[in-house]
Amino acid sequence: MKTQFPNAYVLNVLTGDHPGIIAAITRSVNQRGGNIDACSQTVVEGFFTLIMVISFAKPVEPDSLATEIRGDQATDFQVVARKFVSPVVKPVTAVDRFVLTAFGKDKPGIVRRFSEYLAGKDINILDLFAHREGDDFLLIGQVEIPAARDLALLQADLEQIAAEEAFTVKLQHENIFVATNQLRFER
Amino acid sequence: MLRTDEILSTIQMLHAESLDVRTVTLALNLDDCAAPSMDSLCRKLREKITGRASRLVETCNKVGRKYGIPIVNKRLAITPASHLLAGHGQAAALAVAKTLDEATAACGIDLVGGFSALVHKGITPADACVMRSLPEVLSQTKRVCASINVATTKAGVNMDAIGEMGRIILEIAAATAAQKGFGCAKLVVFANIPEDNPFMAGAYVGEGEPEAAVNIGVSGPNVVVSALRRRLASGKKLTLNELAEEIKLTSFRVTRVGELVGREVADELGIAFGIVDLSLAPTPKVGDSVGEILKTLGIAQIGAPGSTAAVAMLTDAVKKGGAFASSSVGGMSGAFIPVSEDEVLDNAVTKGWLSLEKLEAMTSVCSVGLDMIAIPGNTPAETIAAIIADEATIGVVNNKTTGVRLIPVPGAKVGDRVEYGGLFGGATIMEVRNSGASADFVNHGGRIPAPIQSLRN
Repeated sequence: MKTQFPNAYVLNVLTGDHPGIIAAITRSVNQRGGNIDACSQTVVEGFFTLIMVISFAKPVEPDSLATEIRGDQATDFQVVARKFVSPVVKPVTAVDRFVLTAFGKDKPGIVRRFSEYLAGKDINILDLFAHREGDDFLLIGQVEIPAARDLALLQADLEQIAAEEAFTVKLQHENIFVATNQLRFER
Repeated sequence: MLRTDEILSTIQMLHAESLDVRTVTLALNLDDCAAPSMDSLCRKLREKITGRASRLVETCNKVGRKYGIPIVNKRLAITPASHLLAGHGQAAALAVAKTLDEATAACGIDLVGGFSALVHKGITPADACVMRSLPEVLSQTKRVCASINVATTKAGVNMDAIGEMGRIILEIAAATAAQKGFGCAKLVVFANIPEDNPFMAGAYVGEGEPEAAVNIGVSGPNVVVSALRRRLASGKKLTLNELAEEIKLTSFRVTRVGELVGREVADELGIAFGIVDLSLAPTPKVGDSVGEILKTLGIAQIGAPGSTAAVAMLTDAVKKGGAFASSSVGGMSGAFIPVSEDEVLDNAVTKGWLSLEKLEAMTSVCSVGLDMIAIPGNTPAETIAAIIADEATIGVVNNKTTGVRLIPVPGAKVGDRVEYGGLFGGATIMEVRNSGASADFVNHGGRIPAPIQSLRN
């Protein structure tokens, strides 16, 4: 990614959710003459987290940047800053996007079990959602599967894991979700 | 990224509400199999079907696995068998039907439709051969389905053909008496037969269709029921136009599933994608019922006043949602009300709420017609013909497809139960009022002229 200014940093913020968090962060960045180059934010069970790439015309010290952005916020307002380095571009391999959903009675180790299996097959998790409701646990992963993988074998393996954990699992191509929810037919 | 609520709503639809692709139907032109010798004709049929359809089941399973959606039936539709039988006698009809039966079985295909003749303006010797062979064909084959088109808006209603079909339906019932007349469940008598219908028993390949195409029929009554119930559970007073909007949205989503699967199966097989038929097709499974949709809309007893309005609203909303979802809509595209295959409709007949006349009224605003209705085995042929004539006329005058799939159950009387099992369900024998009172009308024969609305140019 080419940032607005040459000195780029990545910020990570974690705090209890309330109105005004982003306003406070961006005010601080703006007052130092910085630019926001990329951002993604979410709220999980009342906790706010944000990852943001920002850039400045002149270099800044990451720790002092984090301290300044934290400012006089409450003590649970955690900020980590580090220098942004563009990730090493991996050789392009053909992948296809799938959605893994798993649900069943919650117990420790479920996310580990599925994520270790995916890692072992070189399947990258792009987005992960997990939620506990009562005793039930729901896991949704949007994943990239190398095109060379045999889908039937992956599904069979996942079903085996699910059976061992008394879970139900589905691995479906993302286009079924795109087609049924969005105006366009496929991504 | 997809949103979590999008993923969950699709999962709900696919896995909790029984959405499936009811049929992937390979439409195949078999006209080039015609030959003067029967041996040659049957050999060419076998070779073409096994050559073109052998990968259908495997491909459907692969695509179904990829998207996590079951494809319940894999079927074959062919150009009318009458094309193949020109110049051959009636014995040839059974040989062709048995070859179709065997070749599709070898491919793992559930049913083959297109043992058909189009006789709306007149009956050729080959058409007559198809029609008269039906008792033998439908009793001696397992997978072969038949359809006879007896009327079109352009040509009018062929009463000679309808009279003949009244007699033939009784003969089919007699030939399959041991299965309670089940042979009749594999025959539809149509008006304005659609050329690309993927649903059985009426699937066939019409003029102007490509050499081969994949046509799709989706399911989805249970999905519509669930969507309506969710809206109604909000406690807010909902108007019928708000409920119609919910049906429309659901139909959009259901249709998209069909289109996605159809396109991919066609791509994998290297042939054209044809159409998605939007029809809501019920099954005997509890909840997967068009009748249940009408109940959810507030018709407590199906057949009560309001039933016709409700099914009209449903059909219209399904079409509107589906038409936006796909640019390849075809087939019959409406709401099916096959009595034995729909648990709620079957119950309404058993309770005496739903009569043949009310069903007829409902079919004037939804798709298909008088479908999977069991009637007394002693119903006269002329009365069966007159029921067909009424239903065909509804199609002709309203520029729509209508069909009749009646089962006169040998030895059965009004109120008796018959069970066919599987997707065909079971039925209570329905009363045919004024039985025998239409004979003179039917026996005039000839053709009811095309209505004035056929003159469009």
